[in-house]
Parts: sequence; structure tokens; C-alpha cells
Amino acid sequence: MSVVVAQEKKPLIRFDIKKCAFCKICELSCSKYHYKKFGDSISRITIIRKGPLMFKCHICTRCEKRFCITACPTKALSYKGGNIVVDPKLCNSCGDCVKACPFHGIRLHPETKLPLICDLCDGDPSCVKDCPKGALSLVWLPEVRK
Amino acid sequence: MMKYSGYKGKVLAINLTTKKTSSIEITDEFARKYLGGNGFAVRYIFDMVDPRMDAFDATNVVAMMTGPFQGINSPTAGKYYMATKSPLTNGYFDSVSGGFIGAQIKYAGYDGFLITGKADKPTYLFVEDGKVEFRPAEKLWGRLTGETQEMIKEEVGDPNLCVSAIGPAGENLVRYACVITEYRAAGRGGVGAVLGSKKLKAVAVRGSGTNEVADPEAYEAWMQWYKEEAKKVPGLAVGLPTYGTPALVASIGKMLGAMGSYNHKTEFFQNWENISGERLKKEFWDKDTACPACPIACSKVFSAKSGKWKGAISEGPEYETIYSLGSMCGIDDLGAIIKGDSLCDEWGMDTVSYGVAVSFIMEAYEKQLITRENTDGVEFKFGNDDAMIAYIEKTAKREGIGNLIAEGSLRAARVIGGGSERFAIQVKGLEIPGHSARALRGMALGYSTATRGGSHHDPRPTGEYAGASDRKAVEGKAAWVIGTQQMTTIGDSLVNCHFLERLLGFTLTQKWVDMINPVTGFGYTLEELTTVAERILDLERSFNVRTGIRRKDDTLPRRFLEEPIPEGPSQGMHTDEPTLNRMLDEFYAIKGWDPKTGVPTKEKLIRMGLEDVADRLAKEGISC
Repeated sequence: MSVVVAQEKKPLIRFDIKKCAFCKICELSCSKYHYKKFGDSISRITIIRKGPLMFKCHICTRCEKRFCITACPTKALSYKGGNIVVDPKLCNSCGDCVKACPFHGIRLHPETKLPLICDLCDGDPSCVKDCPKGALSLVWLPEVRK
Repeated sequence: MMKYSGYKGKVLAINLTTKKTSSIEITDEFARKYLGGNGFAVRYIFDMVDPRMDAFDATNVVAMMTGPFQGINSPTAGKYYMATKSPLTNGYFDSVSGGFIGAQIKYAGYDGFLITGKADKPTYLFVEDGKVEFRPAEKLWGRLTGETQEMIKEEVGDPNLCVSAIGPAGENLVRYACVITEYRAAGRGGVGAVLGSKKLKAVAVRGSGTNEVADPEAYEAWMQWYKEEAKKVPGLAVGLPTYGTPALVASIGKMLGAMGSYNHKTEFFQNWENISGERLKKEFWDKDTACPACPIACSKVFSAKSGKWKGAISEGPEYETIYSLGSMCGIDDLGAIIKGDSLCDEWGMDTVSYGVAVSFIMEAYEKQLITRENTDGVEFKFGNDDAMIAYIEKTAKREGIGNLIAEGSLRAARVIGGGSERFAIQVKGLEIPGHSARALRGMALGYSTATRGGSHHDPRPTGEYAGASDRKAVEGKAAWVIGTQQMTTIGDSLVNCHFLERLLGFTLTQKWVDMINPVTGFGYTLEELTTVAERILDLERSFNVRTGIRRKDDTLPRRFLEEPIPEGPSQGMHTDEPTLNRMLDEFYAIKGWDPKTGVPTKEKLIRMGLEDVADRLAKEGISC
């Protein structure tokens, strides 16, 4: 049973399936912000389409269970200031975090092989800013701790 | 490494017969001269394909190309470009579709593919970061386009994989079979049939690379300019985002009375309100969808919530499909049009050519040139939505009279005879879409001269709708049409959506130049860009004249030349033969094409830097 022990807030990029038009501008905005290049393989957000009306958004949800942190064999991941943070010195690029995340919110950078996880672009997420349909929004939820 | 940006510097040639691939280098000089997409493809196809060969010959090439704008976040560039020698028109033919696969081709390290040869059994291609696999597709053969894409995604284990696939129509060589990516189509001209003849069911591509622009600061400034300026253009800011292209039903069908109906016996559809964009939005709309990177999101998912076709769902129909499956066939039930739209996509055929071919059969039936004996007992009357729907599958399978519909209206007319060619609504074999050749003078000349024939993408009707060119004027129309054809050619080379015309100009302007330079770093002037366009158009024409096309083929269906629009706001309008000839004379003079034959002159070709093309035409005895 979960008990709220602190009133900290945690960030969430909320996805509105009704508004999303599957333009993937969010993916390109993400890669441009972080790498000054355009490419979905280096994006920390992914939109998937299954059928005419079924869209899904894959991004770090800052879930309570922190599956990725638990799965990391080298303790390279930690939760700081609302984000999962990667320590590149500790990470061995094994990809266990990618497999552990049930929200498909992590992928490895194709070249550096380090985990790519949403970091909110220093607090002003470019995916939210650039979404032409207003399908993405940044909300702050009460942090739930065990 | 290339000096210019937006390119990967290589095109992959894929031979399905030998299962071998080879890489062709794109040089800076080549990129600057041919720009991308359309320009690249026509140069390769001109060099590689013998124009006299049958489109289904193994030596035909299908180009799957990108331009410098794929894979970046430039609005309206979420597209890819396909071209081949068409089995419908026998000429050079290109078809552009929305789809993230264009970006993935870039990310995989290529500017495009040139697919040739013939596989010995059904195959699909899986391209990933410079690796190409020829994968067996026996279990995909016969499948619809939707399930084909899903099965390949499953096999590769990537729900995000980009797949372009053909349906059974392509496998069975329906002459206007298309290629489907997600829910969008490289619809026209039968590119899908050529892939079917090569036993190529699909192409799947993913890449982990990126694409960049030449001048990020200037590019960002342009993006900001676009965002501000697009807000001021009603079509881009309100019309297309709210209704999509079906908004045109009211403006073209009602206001202008120029929406072909009942196989163009009239152009005023009495029940226009039943098939209007407003009604679609109000009663059928589920959600907006977009081509990749496009903020306009003009695509819509519509479904029938009640009525005879309850449950039918489709991304679309677009205006052209409402015309072809709707007003042309005398059908005013949007549920049936939605059903037909989704079935055409699934079976893999162009909605425009299918609908116009069916409306042709309906008129032939009405005129008793064919009877129930020919139609398997079906009453092929205008308004019979059951027949229109049922014959999508039968056409894809070439069953019964579906076998004739699969040939397109021109070939069907030649079989049926009895003077029916007069009302086969096509130019050079390509069925004419929903932009009137009688109510718009530019479309009369444009359809006649377009490389593809009856296509509303070369030239564009938008400028005449908007009043930028007087739709009734004959004077100056040749220059206008040439201008719009240059614009669409550049759009197809970038590869960008033509809807940018409302913002950047219906003909080439400095605004087009200002969009291209920050991405590529060419530093084009308007003059150089115009020369690029003319070079590409002359190459297309040179390919076509080598198939035998001449001035005599630059014409319209007899119905349009001889019968004015009988009723409605555009009553009495049409372009007769002497008027068309007057415009053609002017057109060839400006183009630098021979006025008697319509063949590009040696001087013009040399001026465009196409000396080798001039030599080729001379060697084959067709130059002037």
C-alpha cells in the first residue's frame, strides 16, 4: 500500500490521444533541442500509431516504481529533480533499463549507446512547445512515495 | 562529404533479378542541377529506362526518392516521391505521398532507391542503415495494404517501422494500382502495378541517422516566418485544418458549379450539400491527422455513425475521392464514399482513376453500349453505391467487368467502342480529377500539356480559384500554366506539399528561393531555380516524346472540347479546339518546344544544360 509521505511534485508530459495528429513534430523537436540534428532514433519521445484512431506516446512517465533504476546493474541511474539521470561513467550500455521500462520510455543513443530519457529540456519541454495540436502538456502531480 | 546540405550523397540501385545492390554517388554538381525527388528520378529514369519498353518489363525502374527537405522538421515536407514509366499513360509518371518513410530513407543513409529487375517470387525489401535484405513475401501476397504493413512490423518487431506496400490491385497489375504508407497513398499512375510486376510487395525502411540543414540560424528564422505568415492565409490557418480538402465541395461544387458529376454530363451536383466538407466534419469526423512534420493536419479520420454504411471508417476521403466515388458516380451517401475510400486503400488502387473509370462504365451502361450481360447482371446505373463498392474488390482481382475497369477508362473505351472514347474522362490515359477543364482555362491547357496527363498537380488549379489568374482568360494563360508547372516541379523535387503555394506563390517566387537556400546552402537565385524547374520538365517531356507522344496527344476528351457545361454557375463554359490550339501555340513558343510536334528544340535543351539529351533525340531522329 502506498502512503503519501511528502507533498513534492513530480512532472508528467501528459498525452491527449484525441488531439494528437501523428505528425511526430515532437520527436524532431526533441532531437533538435538535444543534438541540433533531426532524427527519431535520438528522440526521447515516440508516437506510435496502431489503427486509424489508436495512437500511443512513449516517454518517461516518472513512474513510482522506477523500474529502470532497479534494473540497472551498475547503479548508473538515479532520480533527481523529477528526472531519471544517467551517469555516463557508470553506464555500461547493457540496455537492461530499456527492457525494464513498461512504458517504452527509454532507448539507447545509436552512437554513444547511452540511455535517452526525457529530461524536460531544462524545464521547458520542446515537444510540448512545438506540438501544433496542443496534444502534449506538462503537468505537476503529487509525488507518491512508499 | 558533400558541400551542400540535405543530402546523404548516395542513391541505392536495387536489382530484384540478381538480388544485388550498388551505390550511385550524388555529387554537389548533380544535386544543384537536379535538386532532388523529381529532378533526381527523371534524370535516372531517362538514363536507365528504354521508353519504348512495356511498363511491366523487368527493365522498367521504380524510383523511390527524397529531396533535401525530408527528415527535418520543415512543415509539409513529411513526404516521399515515387516515379516510373506508367502502365496507364506509358509516359514518365510520378506520385508523391505523405509518410515518414521519406525521412527514414535519409536516416538510413540514402537519398533514394532505384528499383529494377523482377523477383522470381514475392519479395519485400528491408533497408536498415545501409543494409538491404531481400525478404520472402509469399505469406504477404494477396494481403490488403493494412495487414501487410502490420505483418511486416510484427516480423521485424518494430511497431514504429515505416512500410510502403502494394495491395492485391498492384499484384494483379491494375493499371492505376497505388502504394500505401500508413493510410496515405502514392496514388496515381500505377506505380503500385509496376511494383506488382516486379513481385515487390513492400519496402520497409528504418535508419538511426539524422538530417541537418546548411544554415540553422537562417532556417530557424524561416520557420518563425512560416509560423507567423501561415496564420494569415485562411486556407492554411482555417480551411485545411478544420475541414481538410473536402472544404472544396462547397466552393467548387456549389459556388463555381465546377465539380464533375455523372461522368461530366454536368458539373453541378444538385445534392452537393449531402457530400460537403461541413457535413463530413459535423457528422462523420473522428480526428485530425497529419503527414509527418506538418502542423496543418489537413487529413481527417471519418466514420459513418449511422445509415446504410454504418461502421465504415477511413483516413479520408479527400475532395478528389468525394468527386470520383461521389458526384461522378451520382452517389451522395458519404458513408458509401468513406467505405469506398478505405477499400480502395486496402486493395491498393487510386480512388480517382477507379471512380472515374466506374462513372465511365455507368454512362456506357446508360447509353446501352454495354448491358447486364457484360456486367454480371449488375445494374451499373449512376447512383448505385453497392456496385461502386462491390467492384473495388472485383477490380483488384480483375473479375468480370472489373477486369475492364482495371484497365482504366481509355482502354475500356477502346474495348467498348461505339464512340465511347468521347466521354472517357482522361488525358493521355490518366483519369481527370475534380478540377474542371471547362470552368478553368488553365486546367484545360494544363491537363493537355502535363507530363502525367490528367493530373491536378501539374498545373495547379488553386491560383485560378483564388483569382490570381482569371479563370476565363485565354490571353497570358500559357505563361501562367508554365509558371505553375515550374512551381509544382520544384515542390516535387524538394519533396514538399503543393499547399505551400498559398504562402510562397502559385508560380516560383523569391519566397520559394528563400525557403530552399537555408536548407541546402545552394545560394540559388530565382533565375537559377527556374532553370532547374525547366530542365526537369524538359527531361520529362524528352522521355515522353521518345515514347511517341507529340502535340496531337496534348488535348482533352472530346466531351470537354465540344460540350459546354450545361447548367449552374459556370454554364456555357468550355475550351474549344481552336482556343486550345491558340493556347498551345503560345505554350510551345514560351517553352522552346517545336510548335508542330511539341518536341523540345535542340537550342532549348542545350540552354538547359541537357546536351546529351539533345544528342539522344537527334540520334533517334526525333529532334527538331
